[in-house]
Amino acid sequence: MIFLARRIAFYFAAFFLAITFNFLIPRLMPGSPSDRIIASFQGRLNESQIAAIRKAYGFEGNLWEQYVTYVQSVFRLDFGISTVQFPEPTASLLFYGAQWTLVIVGLAIFFAFFIGSFMGIHAAWNRGGFFDSFFTPINVMMNAFTPAIVALVLFYAFSLQLKWFPLGRAHDPNLMPNWFDLKFVGSVLYHATLPVLSIFLVSFGGWHLGMRNVMINLLNEDFVVMARAKGLSENRIKYRYVARNAILPQITALALSIGFALGGALVTEQVFNYPGLGKFTFTAIGARDYSFIQGQLLLLTCSVLVANLLSDIANVILDPRLRGR
Amino acid sequence: MSELAHTPAFPLRAESAADLAAAAPSHPELMRELGVRPRPGWTANLPAGLASFLTNGKGMAGVIILLVLVVMSAAAPLLSDYNPNRRAGKPHVMPSYEHVLGTTRLGKDVFTQLVYGGRVSLSVGIGAGAFAALIGLALGISAGYFGGRTDEIISFFVNVVLVLPGLPLIIVIATMVEAASPMVIGLVLALTGWGWAARTIRTQTLSLRTREFVLSAELLGEKKWRIILIEIFPNMLSFFMGGLVLGTIAAILAEAALEFIGLGDPNAVTWGTMLFWAQNNLALQSGAWWEIWPPCIAIMLTGAALVLVNFAVDEITNPQLKASRKIGRIKRFLTRRGRGADVF
Repeated sequence: MIFLARRIAFYFAAFFLAITFNFLIPRLMPGSPSDRIIASFQGRLNESQIAAIRKAYGFEGNLWEQYVTYVQSVFRLDFGISTVQFPEPTASLLFYGAQWTLVIVGLAIFFAFFIGSFMGIHAAWNRGGFFDSFFTPINVMMNAFTPAIVALVLFYAFSLQLKWFPLGRAHDPNLMPNWFDLKFVGSVLYHATLPVLSIFLVSFGGWHLGMRNVMINLLNEDFVVMARAKGLSENRIKYRYVARNAILPQITALALSIGFALGGALVTEQVFNYPGLGKFTFTAIGARDYSFIQGQLLLLTCSVLVANLLSDIANVILDPRLRGR
Repeated sequence: MSELAHTPAFPLRAESAADLAAAAPSHPELMRELGVRPRPGWTANLPAGLASFLTNGKGMAGVIILLVLVVMSAAAPLLSDYNPNRRAGKPHVMPSYEHVLGTTRLGKDVFTQLVYGGRVSLSVGIGAGAFAALIGLALGISAGYFGGRTDEIISFFVNVVLVLPGLPLIIVIATMVEAASPMVIGLVLALTGWGWAARTIRTQTLSLRTREFVLSAELLGEKKWRIILIEIFPNMLSFFMGGLVLGTIAAILAEAALEFIGLGDPNAVTWGTMLFWAQNNLALQSGAWWEIWPPCIAIMLTGAALVLVNFAVDEITNPQLKASRKIGRIKRFLTRRGRGADVF
């Protein structure tokens, strides 16, 4: 319990650091967002209009007052008003995009983690064999192929040339969004296939290598020799003894990898014209919509921190040594 | 090695000892069967780490690919007469004798852009990777060596940097700088990318600081910075190299990704901005494959070459991984001789 309490305290501190960072960046850089908007009117604004713009962007009062207002607005989930889709609050755009990003990132991480880890278990168990010496280097090499390029290749081959998959959107526009309608879910999965595949292809090698290296180090441990001496079956030793211990660092890495996968999704969505956070962020960058760009950082930070907390809880459940602490 | 030829490795059957000695493979044959090659003589005078890197096939393959890319970028003005920023021909010309890799929609020569872009992309990537590894080295050694309060504070920041999502954070910083130049992008990548290096180097320092040679230096009254530089740092070189290689991979990929989504300076010529323009001009949809694939292949080749180098560094720092690569051969060797392969 003390272990979990310490972790929660750390995540709170990290979250506040992220908020503070988000708050300070535009204020330290030359030319704040509101100054730029004011400058874009080329002196056609009067005093009260300038004050109103500064107020709307939270640049009113001294630095400490601005900070307090900012923190309060974050906890009210008030990220300001989008300039791209003007009267729409940024928060609702963020959450609309986040649901689609969640679909592809969730599926990609799920498949990458399980398939990669299983390949790692297999490679470590038969280490030096054909599977290990052939697939381990290749899978790890795939890690260095950035999602942008893999997505471009898949898009070119399967969407443009073979026309097996759609050129954009998250689901068939003729279907009403309804998560209990199998036809709708099927269409969502169909549209998500290539984006998921491109994130999957660049990330499963990491799980493969991580699992393999931890497993190899564990194979020399006394408990493995003991399990063999007891005459347990190969599969039992492999999965219940070695893999179970090797999975613990993988779960910690799983939470950290979500940040990486979200970054990959930003680029992938751009290629596949997929209406997730990344696509919106791309539009926001083009239009310099600062409230959205800052909002995406906060939302993503929050989700990564929550994922880390969940992985800590999973570690406590799986690793009895942590329970007493 | 001679005892291998004389002590039979399997239970004696009816054969006499003399028959066995005749049938047993000679030393060079055994070496060949086990895949053990003697180290070439010219590496004898080199430091052990360098020698095992130079004889590592994967590592050298990576180094050669990298060298080719670096030399091509450095020799860009010799390889092409065009200006990468200027129109060189008609828009979207197919690859031909005049334009080896065709032209972009704006009529710029793709091959020229590729070699000039390599200058920026490679130097930003390697520079950012080196800077990040240096920050990681400094913070990791300080945290591990000084311990206590210093360690707690540094570890807190390391954990924060590791936990915050990298690309979204960089996007926020890069948007605030109007049209971030490659230099700015490299700097931001270095300042956000030192987490892993710091963590591994801290762990290594922790295990080194209680070793005898460090203790004896402390007892001799050596200055702290001297112990760090002369006693600890040389032992960190391979981890520093690993951090450098991984940091460079991350930086090259992240720079390409940032420029691809339009955060870079669109007038700079880099592999990332080439991709950005190709995507913006719908090169794929209009069939101009030569505009989009060259920068893709260049980025992937660089990434693959660095991964190969990292394999070699990994095998040198963690001999267990290298040993396990040879286990397949040893198992097959034993199986052929009728011994169980059930050895760990």
